[in-house]
Amino acid sequence: MATERLEFPSTEVLNTADKPGQRPRLITGGLGLHDITRVVSRLSEAPAPPRGWWILFLASVGLLILLFAMIGYLIFTGVGVWGVNTPVSWGFAIVNFVFWVGIGHAGTLISAILFLFRQKWRTSINRFAEAMTIFAVMCAGIFPAIHVGRIWVVHWLFPLPNQMHLWPNFRSPLLWDVFAVGTYFTVSLLFWYMGMIPDLATFRDRAPGKIRRVIFGLLALGWRGSNRQWLNYEKAYLLLAGLATPLVLSVHSVVSFDFATSQLPGWHTSIFPPYFVAGAIFGGFAMVVTLAILARQVLGLRNIITLHHLENMAKVILATGMMVGYAYGMEFFTAWYSGNPTEAFTFVNRALGPYAWAYWIMIGCNVVAPQVFWFKKARNSIWLLFIVAMFVNVGMWFERFVIVVTSLSRDFLPSSWSYYMPTSVDLLTLLGSFGLFFTLFLLFLRYAPVVAMAEVKSVMEDVHPHAEEHEPLGDYWGDEPGAHTERERLLRANGGAQ
Amino acid sequence: MSHGQRHSPTAEQLAANRPLLGPRGRLLAVSALVIGAVGLAASYLLGNGQADNLRHFYFAYLVAYCFWLSIALGALFYTLIHHLLRDTSSVVVRRIAEQLAGTLPFMALLILPILIPILSGSSELYWWLDPVVRESDALIIHKSGYLNLGFFVARLAVYFAVWIALAGLFRGISLRQDATGGTAPTLQLWKYSAPAMLLFAVTTTFFAVDVIMALDAHWFSTIFGVYFFAGCMVGAYGLLVLSSVLLQAGGYLRAVITPEHYHDLGKLLFAFLFFWGYIAFSQFMLYWYGNIPEETGWYLRRFSGDWLGWSVALLFLHLLIPFPIMLSRFIKRRRKLLAVMAVWLLIAHWLDLYWLIMPEYNAAALPLSLLDLTCLVGVGGLMLGVYIWLAGGQALVPVRDPNLTESLNFENV
Repeated sequence: MATERLEFPSTEVLNTADKPGQRPRLITGGLGLHDITRVVSRLSEAPAPPRGWWILFLASVGLLILLFAMIGYLIFTGVGVWGVNTPVSWGFAIVNFVFWVGIGHAGTLISAILFLFRQKWRTSINRFAEAMTIFAVMCAGIFPAIHVGRIWVVHWLFPLPNQMHLWPNFRSPLLWDVFAVGTYFTVSLLFWYMGMIPDLATFRDRAPGKIRRVIFGLLALGWRGSNRQWLNYEKAYLLLAGLATPLVLSVHSVVSFDFATSQLPGWHTSIFPPYFVAGAIFGGFAMVVTLAILARQVLGLRNIITLHHLENMAKVILATGMMVGYAYGMEFFTAWYSGNPTEAFTFVNRALGPYAWAYWIMIGCNVVAPQVFWFKKARNSIWLLFIVAMFVNVGMWFERFVIVVTSLSRDFLPSSWSYYMPTSVDLLTLLGSFGLFFTLFLLFLRYAPVVAMAEVKSVMEDVHPHAEEHEPLGDYWGDEPGAHTERERLLRANGGAQ
Repeated sequence: MSHGQRHSPTAEQLAANRPLLGPRGRLLAVSALVIGAVGLAASYLLGNGQADNLRHFYFAYLVAYCFWLSIALGALFYTLIHHLLRDTSSVVVRRIAEQLAGTLPFMALLILPILIPILSGSSELYWWLDPVVRESDALIIHKSGYLNLGFFVARLAVYFAVWIALAGLFRGISLRQDATGGTAPTLQLWKYSAPAMLLFAVTTTFFAVDVIMALDAHWFSTIFGVYFFAGCMVGAYGLLVLSSVLLQAGGYLRAVITPEHYHDLGKLLFAFLFFWGYIAFSQFMLYWYGNIPEETGWYLRRFSGDWLGWSVALLFLHLLIPFPIMLSRFIKRRRKLLAVMAVWLLIAHWLDLYWLIMPEYNAAALPLSLLDLTCLVGVGGLMLGVYIWLAGGQALVPVRDPNLTESLNFENV
């Protein structure tokens, strides 16, 4: 990949100016339709990945091995290797589960909900955000499975007919979780794969070698790009987007039910479902920003994932961060307003008790840090974006920690109160889960179309070549004065190469 | 691109020949105001005739008031989110929302029939104002720092000050743009929309907490503000659709608001009716499952006796039946069918507010009476009269909004 140099400038283009009546250009640097294919295919078609990829990949695989080692140790020894004990019987495993499921929300939100809202900027980021979703849900799925203790009967989570007439408790939200996460994973995977078919066909058609051609040919399911195929594709896309949209809401709502259906102060409150969904989108977007910044800097995607895209994501982070802050506020207010002394105690204990440090990390990262995004300068600064996104990643993990641990560690019986401490196995398993996530993500970067090429092309000016003859119809193509001229100038500079 | 199929006027034509309501609008406004005044007078007489210290009147009035206010608030939110999301497709209907939100100063006056009695010592509506309760009820004593007359009224004043300021600001700048044109007003509106949203969220939430939730001052729910907001949006989208359809039926904005815009309005009406269902379910399911007496008492009132039927009706009329109907693209793109659904959902929204408020008046039996109708007509007539009057003074679309061209040519792709 290092062999093919990019002729187009890969410096930052400030396309974030607010201009009423005009749309910012989503693809900068004068990239044409074919350039999108070239830029996106480069990494996958290079004979060997760059050294940076190898370094990251080996580090990730190392962590992945660590994860497997920890899981093996857990299974052979028992859950006693974790820090969980009465009364805190839900520790890192559930915190990590909720954290990873939350991360897995942004992908489908971007690909489904933003699609329904006609947010065309989503096309540059939806592919890897969806991949991120799938990998995050895989990471999430591990934790409840190993958390059951006797993992050799983990299939009892599913309502499988058996001779003992033993069924899971259908009234338990933990079972609803199995269904909700399972459905979400299935639909997200289908959505991701179906959206990728035209791009897989592009890879097939460009394949330099036979093996590559056969593999991508099989994956592309005979895609020829005919009108009829596109018609079916777009219909299926819309239908899947419509189906995936309520799923985005339902998954984290059901996860919130795990807590909120109980009677435990700090868990049982009616705002939990929308609050968890907002938090998941918040945390998910932070992870998308983190990965987007890394990908665009490393893979030279600056002109495809532009500052405008990053600014929009910063705005989403600010908005959802405020929603999370609203929920924190309403919980606190109602804890006092209800007049229920245990509720009030729980919330005061969060802020001032033994876990105050975790609570204030949560507030600082989730409520205070995103406030910088009120300023356009901050939204346009790569560094600040990255730093705040990291803060949010940390903050959203701590939010789940605060919810799970503070409420459990101070239950109704003061004699059983205790202070939960994770063991090194807990910490290393969390670390290892990042290994799984990044291993899968790096494999995706190396082998799959990282950007939805076909979709990006549909929002470029070149697909609407006669734009200037028409009224400005208000899409992204050609409505910025000089857009065409800039492209022509660049083409001339490159000797007309297309 | 359907070139030549529609004959929408261009933005320039609209700016040169501003679509106005004209004298017909003034007549309509005055008639609405008269009907409203008559309705209100009848309500007062009916309420006074019951010899219950006007208790029934206050509750019935509160339902009607919250219904119409929620629509104005939803319209204000519509305006804010339009600018926050840099929406370009629905510019042609934004003025309608701006004028609806423009009734908020008048709505501040219309709260006086319940506020003045409260200020003069009545505790018919809010039993926590009763001096005996305030000294004997442990929970009310606990909450007295928040639930006391002075702070209650001061908070209401703040909410209305914020809403009047926001509605005035967003309507004012938009109207100024009609005269001046240019992009500066739009940039201003974009800039103010984000902080305005914060103010809107906080004030609307606590309005719902203070005015509706505190009818049962023992009960509490963290989601209640969101629940009220969801209803506001169903009401606002309902009236937006209805206003557009009626305007077109009267010969206005004929080629300006197209099936494409109705399709979008219909989608959002659908989205918010679903959102309402999601929020209502979240609250109900968690309280039912938790089964804690201090939380379930509120639902128990609504699930016993006559109210059970009302609760079931609400579930079906506000969610389960309109949900599959509103899925249909066919209906969303036909203004008459969509108008039927808008009326349906407006009624459902009223059912919802009635369900929130009236069991606190009478938990034993349905207090449905003529008073409910006269209050609805009374407050509604006055509010709609002001709305039509305001709308009559200005162009019916923001004629010099830089995004108007895009909105006129908008198509769902």
